Amino acid sequence: MKILFKILKLLGISYVILFIVFFFDLDGKFLYYIWEPRIVARYDRMKRRDNTTTPYTAEVS
Amino acid sequence: MKKPSIKKFLDQFYAVSLGERVVDDIKSGEAKNRRERRHEKIKEKQKTLDPKKVLHDFWYGKEHEERRLGDLYIGNTGLYKHREWRGVPDTMYYFNMIWLYNYAHMVMDILGSDEPLKFFTGIWRYRWIGQTYLSVMHWFDRGLEGLRGPALRASAWHYRGMVSETIRQFMRMFAADTKLHAGEKNDLWYKTIAHDETVSGNIFYPWRDVMDDVPLQMIPYFVTCHVNNKTVLNYIDAMQSIGLPGDPCPMCQAESGIFVLDDYPDYSPVMVTSNEACDGSVATSIITDWFLNRPLYAMPQPMRFDDPLTHKHCMSEIEGCWKFIEEQTGIPFDFEQYKKYADSFNELTEFEHEKWDVAANTPYYPINSVAQALYRIYYSQDGDRPIWHQVDAHVKKIMDKCVEKKLVTFPKTRHRAIAWSCAPLYYSHWCTWAYNCWGINTIINMDSLMFDQYLRTDTYEHALDDLARYNELAPMRSMAVGGHEHIFQLWKYMEQFNCDMVIMYDQLQCKGMQGIKGMFEDEFRKRGIHAIWVPHALPDKRTVSRKEIRSIINDYMVTVMREEPLDPTLVDFDDDESW
Repeated sequence: MKILFKILKLLGISYVILFIVFFFDLDGKFLYYIWEPRIVARYDRMKRRDNTTTPYTAEVS
Repeated sequence: MKKPSIKKFLDQFYAVSLGERVVDDIKSGEAKNRRERRHEKIKEKQKTLDPKKVLHDFWYGKEHEERRLGDLYIGNTGLYKHREWRGVPDTMYYFNMIWLYNYAHMVMDILGSDEPLKFFTGIWRYRWIGQTYLSVMHWFDRGLEGLRGPALRASAWHYRGMVSETIRQFMRMFAADTKLHAGEKNDLWYKTIAHDETVSGNIFYPWRDVMDDVPLQMIPYFVTCHVNNKTVLNYIDAMQSIGLPGDPCPMCQAESGIFVLDDYPDYSPVMVTSNEACDGSVATSIITDWFLNRPLYAMPQPMRFDDPLTHKHCMSEIEGCWKFIEEQTGIPFDFEQYKKYADSFNELTEFEHEKWDVAANTPYYPINSVAQALYRIYYSQDGDRPIWHQVDAHVKKIMDKCVEKKLVTFPKTRHRAIAWSCAPLYYSHWCTWAYNCWGINTIINMDSLMFDQYLRTDTYEHALDDLARYNELAPMRSMAVGGHEHIFQLWKYMEQFNCDMVIMYDQLQCKGMQGIKGMFEDEFRKRGIHAIWVPHALPDKRTVSRKEIRSIINDYMVTVMREEPLDPTLVDFDDDESW
């Protein structure tokens, strides 16, 4: 019974925390201010194959 | 030695000047005056406070005119200070059944895919997923802003369908992708057909049980523009960096730019292309052929399709495509599979007609315009998938209830609008804004009306005949560049959907539609129709910003219609840096 009560309490607290994240758009703020600038910097630095060097021929290489 | 930093210097300077200002205010008594003014304001508010109204607003949400949705935005980011309070039932529905439900189901969709862990390597490898799709709940927020009751519920189901199908597509791409498997071609690679996003998924039904088909640009390009419009700009610039002038259609530029930046998954041994949205982009097949460097079947859709010989040619091209797949994969064509999926797809078309009927003839249609438009173009292009049937079942239940109980779903409708021509991809949610700000309810738009075609399955000949016609009615063909007699179907649909206003999208880089602008203006004048021209550049928000689009609508509504906004906070705000 005690364990059940503890689980319910934990679920209740998680639910409230999630509601706060939702209501104050904390997921959006995290992605906008923290995630996006960092991941974009990574993509900008990434070494990519130069596809323009692919020869254009009728035959598939 | 520490590096000199201008930012740090400015921060310190600002802190010192702020401190000085506080001291000055205290000395001059300004701080005290300000405090007193604030107290007076609070007292005044308390006097006019009606506890009953506060309680009503808390439970049911504020009336449309009192919402002040524009006050919720943070600067030009598009983020919210807090998400909208829609009343207890709707806020809790949004939290539980939209926000939590979709986050949870996104995880479940990924876990249920062939290789769930490839999601993380995909994020690490491809810009279009790491930058775009994680912010997907904001796409919901923007599209569903201000909605209440059944409109909120039914529209959200459409978004759920699109998210689920998007995840299915990119997880299949990742599972088969040689770039995420150290160059190795696995079994899934051999059993996936890649095709242009404007080649209909219906074409590949004969192999659906043994192979899967995934459009190559749908997820890396098309859907990204709606969710996060920043990603696509990289691809447009990449294409121009190798010498393409800036004025061709930016859709085709972006699709090709994915190859230039090597940001496409390599998940299939073959490729089936079309001439994309119009003949202006016929070269995309050549560019795809160059960069992909593998067996490719080009199946351009005709522009002027009313000619019987053209139709015959279209039928033979589809047969050619089927033969190409058979030859390349060694898996034979199976008409029984085609029948099964085409029949199932017809059920979606049937429900679509039911939706149109309710939208056209009643005020009880519970789907907002952006959900209607994006969902329709997505599933009709993509073809039959189980998720579309699940969504339709949910929506049908809601819609039937609205009709039965006569629930007016968009009660502040002042104008029933039809949106014509191709829409700005970076601002698909403008319809949501237009309703919230001005009461312009976009009932239907041109892209929703494409592909209006049942697929007969009684004989092979009928099936091919209908499939060819379906292919001819591809995006932009049937109404935008398929000949003026099709473009002018606008008048017929205006009447059918009981609309009193036209939102005329003006894609600045579409030569086809520009050629007929004058004729439209003449017709609008002659017929006494209120039409607002909305300039845009499909995915490229730098050419015409969202704010500029809003200001054009605002000007028309004030100067021509002489109307007051429903929500004045939405008239003028910045969102240039938003997703």
